[in-house]
Amino acid sequence: MNNPYEVLGVSPGATDEEIKKAYRDLAKKYHPDKYANSPLADVAEQKMKEINEAYDTIKNMRQGGGNADTSSYTGYQSNGYNKYNSVRVYIQRNMVNEAEQILDAMPPNERDAEWHYLKGMCAYRRGWNDQANQYFQTTINMDPNNQEYRTAVNHMNTQHTYNYGGYNTSQTGNSGFGCSCCDICTTIICADCLCSCCRSGC
Amino acid sequence: MFGYLQIDKAELKVREYEAYKAVYCGLCKQLGKDYSFLTRLSLSYDCTFYTMMLMSLSAGCTGFSNGRCRFNPLKKCQFADCKNDCYSKAAALSVITVYYKLLDELMDSGFWKRLLVHMIKPFFSHWRQKAARRYPEMDTIVADMLDAQVKVEAEPSPSLDATAHPTADMLGKLLCLEAKDELQKRVFYECGYHLGRWIYFIDAADDYEKDVKSNSFNPFRLIENDNPKQRMEQTLNQSLARSYDAYILIDNLTDFKGILDNMMLLGFPLKQNSVLSKRQEVTNEQSV
Repeated sequence: MNNPYEVLGVSPGATDEEIKKAYRDLAKKYHPDKYANSPLADVAEQKMKEINEAYDTIKNMRQGGGNADTSSYTGYQSNGYNKYNSVRVYIQRNMVNEAEQILDAMPPNERDAEWHYLKGMCAYRRGWNDQANQYFQTTINMDPNNQEYRTAVNHMNTQHTYNYGGYNTSQTGNSGFGCSCCDICTTIICADCLCSCCRSGC
Repeated sequence: MFGYLQIDKAELKVREYEAYKAVYCGLCKQLGKDYSFLTRLSLSYDCTFYTMMLMSLSAGCTGFSNGRCRFNPLKKCQFADCKNDCYSKAAALSVITVYYKLLDELMDSGFWKRLLVHMIKPFFSHWRQKAARRYPEMDTIVADMLDAQVKVEAEPSPSLDATAHPTADMLGKLLCLEAKDELQKRVFYECGYHLGRWIYFIDAADDYEKDVKSNSFNPFRLIENDNPKQRMEQTLNQSLARSYDAYILIDNLTDFKGILDNMMLLGFPLKQNSVLSKRQEVTNEQSV
């Protein structure tokens, strides 16, 4: 195993607080929720495991052995058994073509909310975000109370605003980029006020 | 579709900025060495990003050396030295993409531009052959991209995703060439795919007004939406987010990681904001 301190990106002399913070930041960065439907879910899970192990090792070392409570964030488990089982398995294994074949073979009158959800998952794995979004929207309209579907839609919405990684691209108006017509008008009005003030003073 | 992969200069450390410039100048020098003085003009930020990525993955940078700029002999500049073929790969990519870009221009440009392209095309054709001999798989990937793009634009009503797929696929496959195993291939493909998608869409967002005026193809014209800007922003954000999620799973980046992080997290969003807010100003003026 790699040096646990290197995994967490801290120096061996770091305080417990620093280590905890580094661990939390990393756990947030690689959290399975973020990679829920991604084709890289397994890679992220592996990374998460490394981080958990590193954190536990450090904690054990510092407490002088003993059983530290494991602090693992765990990945998703597939839930329920139904006719879509094989589709879910294919999707989990990144075999999107096979999954879509089964889905497309189903007659249109059998296409329920879950069918749309899984089609959306396939599109998402391919990187076809826009199509995935459309499928997820249909799903949520058909079955607004399902937690799994809502998670998927929420996840899409988070990505639409891209504010993880500490940077937010959403902008209000023309903030920060030159000045708009309004800015110019306001400036002129201000300048005008100042001028008239002066004149009345003279 | 060039020049969107930029740094956020204000957030870089001075030494990182120097290193970035040194790679940029190093690539320029290589373009001159491998091809010709003229190909130096095809130097782009995108290929600089590609070079940095290659150098970082292979730990290829060995140091810096001093020299002078070919375009301005009075200006001293630094060159990043590289022990492997990162530069020549990036130079080849640069020449190949410019060549295919020219082919694309021939199909949908006005008379004068076409005339100009006809004049310089033979040169680039020659250089592209040279580059393709050295990196044949690279040439195939870019050529396939153009084919697929022409096909998809000819369809009656392609989906937004389909229009971006060729460019996205191209960048995904290009990065995959560097992968050391199957697992990494998947990570690289996902990272490249979404970055390529982002490049395609930001180029489309940038050209939106122009394309509406000249009634040319633009993916955002396909969607019926009274607020195209919001749609653009969402699409771009999501691509960047997914590319970044894959990027942080690349575990063997060495030098320049700070610069690459800066680009992924700050430089690209900054560029996106400036393109979208420029667009917004244009629409504002029209409505006033």
